[in-house]
Amino acid sequence: MPDADERLLVEAAQRDPSRFAALYERHFDRVYAYVVHRVRNRDAAEDVTSEVFHKALAGLRRYEWRGAPFGAWLIRIAANVIIDRSKRVAREVVDSDQVPESTTEPDVMLVDQWAHVFRLIETLPADQRTVIVERYIEERSIREVAARLGKSEGAIKQLQFRALHMLRTRMEGADA
Amino acid sequence: MPDSPRMDWLERALFDAPRPAFRARLKSDLERTAAAMTLATETTGTTARVRQSATPQLRVKNAPAAIDFYTRAFGAREIMRFEAGGSIPHAELLIGNSLIFLGEEAPEYGYPGPASLGGSPVSIQLLVDDADVMMAQAVAAGARVTSPLADQFYGDRTGRVTDPFGHSWTIVMRKEEMSVEEMYRRMAAMQGERPAPTAESFRPEGFHTVTPYLVVADAPALIDFVTRAFGGEERSRDIGPGGGIHADVQIGDSRLMIGGGAPEAPWRGQRWNTAFHLYLKDTDAAFERAVQAGATVLQAPADMEYGERSAGVKDASGNVWYIATAMGASYVPEGLHSLNVYLHPHRAEPLIAFMTRAFGADKVEKYASPDGIIHHARVRIGDSVIEMGEARGPYQPMPTQFYLYVPNADAAYQRALEAGAESIRPPADQPYGDRNAGVKDVFGNQWFVATQIRPR
Repeated sequence: MPDADERLLVEAAQRDPSRFAALYERHFDRVYAYVVHRVRNRDAAEDVTSEVFHKALAGLRRYEWRGAPFGAWLIRIAANVIIDRSKRVAREVVDSDQVPESTTEPDVMLVDQWAHVFRLIETLPADQRTVIVERYIEERSIREVAARLGKSEGAIKQLQFRALHMLRTRMEGADA
Repeated sequence: MPDSPRMDWLERALFDAPRPAFRARLKSDLERTAAAMTLATETTGTTARVRQSATPQLRVKNAPAAIDFYTRAFGAREIMRFEAGGSIPHAELLIGNSLIFLGEEAPEYGYPGPASLGGSPVSIQLLVDDADVMMAQAVAAGARVTSPLADQFYGDRTGRVTDPFGHSWTIVMRKEEMSVEEMYRRMAAMQGERPAPTAESFRPEGFHTVTPYLVVADAPALIDFVTRAFGGEERSRDIGPGGGIHADVQIGDSRLMIGGGAPEAPWRGQRWNTAFHLYLKDTDAAFERAVQAGATVLQAPADMEYGERSAGVKDASGNVWYIATAMGASYVPEGLHSLNVYLHPHRAEPLIAFMTRAFGADKVEKYASPDGIIHHARVRIGDSVIEMGEARGPYQPMPTQFYLYVPNADAAYQRALEAGAESIRPPADQPYGDRNAGVKDVFGNQWFVATQIRPR
């Protein structure tokens, strides 16, 4: 991410908050990937991510460009939100089924890799993307997805296979 | 399944991928928050410094098209849209630093739009840096100018447009800041140049609100006809700026304007005929005189079941005269004048709606048959009544020209344009002492709205 570009986007959003959407688009996947590594629960990940971006928007004018990338600032906000949250959760009655939140910082390489996967999902052809969302994100069976989309189970498997293949190819391309 | 040993790193990442709906919802939430911040932090000029508490909610027919229009016309930014059942009951747009809400109209639930109400009385003011640029942009996007841009005494340059959905927008550019006291001074100075018309003086003596204005090939022949047949008295005859004749003729308690050419001065302009309901003391005698003066018979005198003795003739210029004598206390029925215009529109309702919106017509009476055909309607404008019966058989539409005296010709002209009329001539002072303007309605009738500014 070229810093000069990023700096323009940040300064534009500081002047006009409605320009914040561009920063959101640019950083959503990485923030979400970071958060989901720390909290391991979809609802909690959504709550935290939402809080991070609202805090960033509200505090945007306080953000100063001193060489620290904007993305790093967002991750710092995310880390603080998660700490505040775990303090709050610790004071409440602990749900025995709840997966404990990770207290250690996740591997940056892994966060970046996942963020990249999240971004690539958005670029899949619509039918493949739908199958990925239904199968992995909504965690539905092949049969359920076939019924919901009015396609044969074979067709769903085929779309899933092609989507995974495309994602893998693109990820490897990125690594090369 | 997420912990299946066969799952590789890619699939694990996919299980943790964000829900598309969450990604989109958070973005929309942030945009709304950002829009509110824009309002809260605006610090320039005379615009709002606080987050807005009152927000207009526009109802429109075809919300997606309206959002598209406001984007092109006023540079609106869509902040959010909520769709349900294939329509948009709620959307939020940011225009400049202000929010407006809009949604699909739903008259059946008590949310009518301008289209179903026949217009909007509210105008939203758009404060802009360059009114002329904004006006041109709005018009290019499909807005209709209802009031051209003009510099106002209170320091603004303003103009008004009506959008394709019926909402009214006043485009305003502040050119000069002044106190309210200064505004009063400027208004007084302006009025000093021309006294404001009073209720008594806006109409010349002898004229009703509505005066039919005929234009025919041979005006002297028609004047002669109404004089001989109906006892008309010529009150004035001039040569107009277009080279044609203009005459005022008194018939009973009413005036009739007759214009056009003469045998020695052919008239090349449009001709205007109409049909009249003319109340006289003796229908039979008037019918005889009319026929002797050259009229053709439409219907010989007969007693009508609605309480009139009536006959019908057509004069040589093409006007139709329903001569009548009311069988009541007076031969002119209560509320009517001697001379009343009788229209035969294809459909009466839209014409009545136009007259109501444009000229404040009221006291509408309608007589419809069970099949919905309006056989007879009376519509009051000011002190006059225009009658009509929907076209059928030999009674076909005859677009008519009217001269209307109103307290404020400029305002009537604006209202007529907002009601869908087309401008023929913007308001202007005339040498004969009236300030008038001309419009043409969608039914083909032509209306001159006038205010007397100098007693004649």
